[in-house]
Amino acid sequence: MWAYIARRSIQALFTLLIITVLCFILTRLSADPLAQYATNPNMSAADKEALRERLGLNQPMPVQYLKWLGLAVHGDLGNSFFSKQPVSLMISQRLPNTLKLMLTYEVVTIVISLLLGIISAVRQYSILDNVITTFSFIGFSMPIFFIALGAMLIFAVKFKEWGFPYLPTGADIWDQKDPTQYIKHMILPVSCLVIIGTAGYARFVRTSILEVLGQDYIRTARAKGLSNRVVLYKHALRNAALPLVTIIGLDIPGLLGGALVTESVYAWPGMGRLFWEYAQRGDFPVVLGILLIISSAVVIFTIITDVVYTFVDPRIRLN
Amino acid sequence: MKKNLSVLLSLVVLASILLAACGGTKATEAPAVATEAPAATEAPAVATEAPAAVFKTATGAWSQEPDNIIPYFTQMSYAIWIAQLTMVGLGEWDDQGNFVTELGAEVPSADNGGVSADGLTITWKLKPGLKWSDGEPLTSADVKFTWEAVVNPANAPLSRVGYEKIVSIDTPDDTTAVIKFSELYPPWQTLFTQGPNNSGSLLPKHILDGKTALESDPFIHQPTVASGPFVISEWVAGDHMTLVRNDNFYGSRPNLDQVNIKFVPTPETALAALQTGDIDWYPDFSESDITTVGALEPAIHLKVVPGADFEHYFFNEGTTAGVDGKGKADVNGFCPFKDVRVRKAITLGIDRQAFVDSLLAGKTTIPATQWPNSSWSNSNLTPDAYDAAAAGALLDEAGYKLGADGIRSGPCDGKETKLSFNFDTTDKQIRVDIALAVQSDLAKIGVEFKPNHTPGGTFFAGYTDSGIMPTGKYDMAGYTTGFYPDPMTGVMDSYSCATVPSAANPSGANNYLICDPQLDPLLAAVNASADPAVRKTALDAVQKYIFDQYYVIMMYSRANVYGYVDRFVPAAFGFYSNMNWNAELWDVK
Repeated sequence: MWAYIARRSIQALFTLLIITVLCFILTRLSADPLAQYATNPNMSAADKEALRERLGLNQPMPVQYLKWLGLAVHGDLGNSFFSKQPVSLMISQRLPNTLKLMLTYEVVTIVISLLLGIISAVRQYSILDNVITTFSFIGFSMPIFFIALGAMLIFAVKFKEWGFPYLPTGADIWDQKDPTQYIKHMILPVSCLVIIGTAGYARFVRTSILEVLGQDYIRTARAKGLSNRVVLYKHALRNAALPLVTIIGLDIPGLLGGALVTESVYAWPGMGRLFWEYAQRGDFPVVLGILLIISSAVVIFTIITDVVYTFVDPRIRLN
Repeated sequence: MKKNLSVLLSLVVLASILLAACGGTKATEAPAVATEAPAATEAPAVATEAPAAVFKTATGAWSQEPDNIIPYFTQMSYAIWIAQLTMVGLGEWDDQGNFVTELGAEVPSADNGGVSADGLTITWKLKPGLKWSDGEPLTSADVKFTWEAVVNPANAPLSRVGYEKIVSIDTPDDTTAVIKFSELYPPWQTLFTQGPNNSGSLLPKHILDGKTALESDPFIHQPTVASGPFVISEWVAGDHMTLVRNDNFYGSRPNLDQVNIKFVPTPETALAALQTGDIDWYPDFSESDITTVGALEPAIHLKVVPGADFEHYFFNEGTTAGVDGKGKADVNGFCPFKDVRVRKAITLGIDRQAFVDSLLAGKTTIPATQWPNSSWSNSNLTPDAYDAAAAGALLDEAGYKLGADGIRSGPCDGKETKLSFNFDTTDKQIRVDIALAVQSDLAKIGVEFKPNHTPGGTFFAGYTDSGIMPTGKYDMAGYTTGFYPDPMTGVMDSYSCATVPSAANPSGANNYLICDPQLDPLLAAVNASADPAVRKTALDAVQKYIFDQYYVIMMYSRANVYGYVDRFVPAAFGFYSNMNWNAELWDVK
């Protein structure tokens, strides 16, 4: 086991290295950090050249990368080209907001998906199953910006127009000490994410349960005279949930990246917005810092998931 | 047992992330120092102690968060905006584009002795009794300190243009700053004054004296004092700023006790927030939003202010041979564009008024020159009207005849050349729409116009990043720029032979790749005098020359598009300086 973890960790380091190289190349090629100064009439050509030199952008790309990497391995993600603030500080300011949003979304999604998935599986081909399936497909195929803007229009703008209690448009955190305000601001963005997330998860739970319900040991359990409830919750659900746990484990690192569109539409000050705003400006220390954290989390959680697998399924042996 | 363990492990992982989230909350509350600013804590007290006085608050939204509050260290217009609200300078530009005082007592001039006979010495008198928001005196020593901070090599401002020409600043008393230049510097009004394309906030000596690397100093993110009408009391990264009234502001007492600025990245959200009353104003609508916002009157008021920026198309005039050995580009531009008749024909062949009326709701204008809506504009020039017949005649005269495929071709430098070329610009929707209209117009006169749209970060890349403009890899291109508040801001860099970018001159900023020996002396003449009247005459000649040469096609003057709710009472909207230049006059009903 420990040898396996050590081997995977070494592999993970190489994986991370390759990821950073690719991300660096893509980020540098996608935008010139000094492009936004191109039409600044107040900066002379000499000013622009001095800035390029100061940021190290006049050096060959491999040198730029190695300099960044040299700092990163010492835990220093560098400073933003534009805000001049340490990238780690900028990330620490946004990460909590993203986690609050995304973890709420994940928990609500799992609970609703389990409920809908179970109902759908137990009442296979019933009207209820068909309704849930239809809405799952609609939710799954709907672009998030459409849902987000549509929900804002209805539950904020139109509800106010109709004289109903309405929800805030921007999901900004005005009064962090007032939990009711906070929850109110989270309702719309979380709901939009849940609609998309539930659609996928619910289908997965349904399929998983149906597969388990067809197994011999379920038939045996029924033959023993166990009630449907016991068969479902004690035998079927626990086994059907195992693949779901794996998927959730692999999804968790992705939560760190936030939800770019939802955060933008609802002005949520999270990681997704930070990434997008600075990627557009070609601020590669910020972009690479975020990508490094997310990819590290993916790699680590993949190893954790593999290890957890051995406990979940005795047939798997890591050596 | 093993299954329970797996569930337990999963819960541990989830819990640790949750703990991280909770633990990190303080990071978002970082500007603790700012929150402790006296004015911030005193402001609500005013409301509670004097029940008769209404505590007035207004909330606006900006599409981006400023990088910092001192524009010396960032070019974001949002930094200029927050500086106008909190960290002002000696002067500014009003709603008519006139230079007026802020902390200065009067605008220096030859008449009041503020400008020396040789133009090399400018004497600024400050208003008496000025104070920073913390009660410390704001004096001429702060002016001198600001200059020293900008030129200090230990600091890294984006630009030292103008400041590096100052040789000394004498401060004979607290309200007098005598600024001596090493050479004539006609745009002296842009120094120590805040406004667009400008970075003149005064820096507080009593806070920053002795510090270096000011570009990353906490003060520029967590300012503790202000000289403007408001003080930042809270800045939650990515979310909002809270400003409270600066009771030590020199001018009239700001009408609002508190101003909240939210950062709302999308105009759709901002529009919804205006409709629900979550925000009171939004200054970041684009021209393509005019119709949508205008339809919401009277609940939401639309304000369109044509400004000094302009959208323009231009021709690649690059030549590898240069002119008299100067201005050599890496590549030659599209050959037919050397002929002024072709340039004029293309200008006449675009129905600019049609897309101004349709795509821009008729709310802006087609300027004749690069100084639109400004007192510096050459009023004798008028933009050419759409005239496809005249355009066709000019192309015929230049030797470009219609081919069977509907595209003209003719001899250029001894080679048969088709009038088919690429046009490069960014992928902004309004540019995509207008380029399609232009493509359709030019097809009617036998010109094939092929638009390429790339993201701004790629389109505006510099020479060393293989940017298409500095490397000359374009035929025609288009974007927005503007030369203000001083009329020569950026002009020399844009049009001089010396600034044509090339491998030998990678920092050159002349994106047109123009090297015209007749234009260079005309440009130099504008900066040869500090007398505004002399400069205006010289600038008129520059405008006439560029106009006659058809080097650029002035598409339309860009407009600032604002939306605000009825309860919010803005002051006069600035011409150069947006709506924040006189925020002390903002009010709510």
